[in-house]
Amino acid sequence: MTAQLAALISNHLSDRRRSLLAWGLPLGLMSAFIVAIFPSVEDSISKAVEAYPEGLKEAFGIGQLANVEQYLQAEMLSLIVPLALGYLAVRAVASGLAGGTESGRLDVLLSAPVSRHRLCAAGFLATAIELAAVLAITFLLTMLGSGLAGAGLDAGQAAAGFAAVWPLALLFAGLGVVACAWSLRTSVVTGAVAGVLVAMYVADLIGKLDPGLDWVRYASVFRYYGNAIEDGIDPLAFCGVTLTACALAALGAWLFDHRDISA
Amino acid sequence: MSAPTIEAEGLTKFYGRHRGIDEVTFAVAPGEVFGFLGPNGAGKTTTIRALLDLHHPTGGSARLFGLDSQRDSVAIRARLGNLSGDFGFGRQVSGREALRLLARLRGVEGVGRAEALAARFHADLERPLGQLSRGNRQKIGLILATFHEPELLIFDEPTSGLDPLMQEEFLALVAEERERGCTVFVSSHDLDEVQRICDRVGMVREGRLIAVERMVDLLGKAQRKVSVRLANPGSLEDLRALPGVSELSVADGRASFEVAGDFDHVLKALAAHHVTDIEAVHPSLEEVFLGYYREEGEG
Repeated sequence: MTAQLAALISNHLSDRRRSLLAWGLPLGLMSAFIVAIFPSVEDSISKAVEAYPEGLKEAFGIGQLANVEQYLQAEMLSLIVPLALGYLAVRAVASGLAGGTESGRLDVLLSAPVSRHRLCAAGFLATAIELAAVLAITFLLTMLGSGLAGAGLDAGQAAAGFAAVWPLALLFAGLGVVACAWSLRTSVVTGAVAGVLVAMYVADLIGKLDPGLDWVRYASVFRYYGNAIEDGIDPLAFCGVTLTACALAALGAWLFDHRDISA
Repeated sequence: MSAPTIEAEGLTKFYGRHRGIDEVTFAVAPGEVFGFLGPNGAGKTTTIRALLDLHHPTGGSARLFGLDSQRDSVAIRARLGNLSGDFGFGRQVSGREALRLLARLRGVEGVGRAEALAARFHADLERPLGQLSRGNRQKIGLILATFHEPELLIFDEPTSGLDPLMQEEFLALVAEERERGCTVFVSSHDLDEVQRICDRVGMVREGRLIAVERMVDLLGKAQRKVSVRLANPGSLEDLRALPGVSELSVADGRASFEVAGDFDHVLKALAAHHVTDIEAVHPSLEEVFLGYYREEGEG
């Protein structure tokens, strides 16, 4: 049983090895560039931010840009990395289940003594590993950029900032499994869940901008994302979102068990 | 008599309001090679996907090895091999990588038989599947379906894309699998192929199983077109009176007619003439169906 799961996970990761670098390297290099230029733009950025409206600063989690950690949060961790990783998560899950159906791979795998929920579990767990690996690459390159430029980025704080993205992205992997139980077309699954990702981000933004609409933030995972690079990881939010992602994947696997396999 | 390897009872699948298969009932005995014959869109693939639990039936049931096709599908799949008509596994994956994964999933230690099959079918296990032609991909699928020596093989249009030599090799492989005691269920729209390997056939049309026949009986019911050139064609009128002979016409020294059922009495009648050339054309799948309907109507 475990051997089957391990075989499926390693196969999934092997298929996705190019994607690992295709996402990790650009995000890492961009992040490294951001921290590397901070020492040279620090003064001008601080003055510019002071002129921003308070609501805008709060909405985008800018607050102050007095140090490199705050700058990294504003430039990378408040928008680009969570959206990119959320999209990567659904792409990874969809490639295994919906893409596997389109390519005929699922037919072959399901001619072997493998249950459908094990296939779903393998896709979800492999995506969890892939997300962690992409975040690790991004973090390491960011630290490298900081080291080379002498930006003084705190490794512990940066690690917390990148780690907090993992459960958020994983939630979209869970949603991806649910979506694969609904449709086995990669484009449909990716489009639908990416739409939810953007909708959640916008809902969180609207709730932040208008205190009267704060309640809409409860429907968004971004409400629980926080600002881990400055405040540290909220264990309750981290575990809660992770468990919700797992519950969604389990629901998706159950639904997947009850559907026909054809694109 | 031992329990059937495959047993479908009123197997039905509708996709919304669209019919897939309707009340399909048949049984396949252990060690039998059973053909599932029908034109494209008749419901062959739907039946196979229901047997494999890839599609959930909307009615009826199927049992393989005496086990329920849905509840016990994992246990069933441990004992079978399957090849669909258009095998795929992803463009970047090589045959060997796919084989390695399947072997791990099946708990098979050695893949020596797969190597032997690859040599036999001239299959390239090293190149990514995306770089292979459809026929060469199909060879990889055939290896993945058979390398673990399953008790049951389910083939859906297995020779599509294979060149004639490899089709021959495939038919030989099926014969060997039967010798080994394996049960084979093969769907096809190619009567020649089915005729050469199957003990019995089920004929499916518009989602319904219209008959299950022994191969010899099915061919007996088919109209065969015969064309004969005789030294004296005018004397062929005696053929017209023979049972099963119809549509007799003589033109340019060549007599053409159709024969249904036993051919022996036709050959004996022709033996009284000086035959310079003879040609018997195999019936097409549709003609077999028509022959079957005609027989049923007369019955």
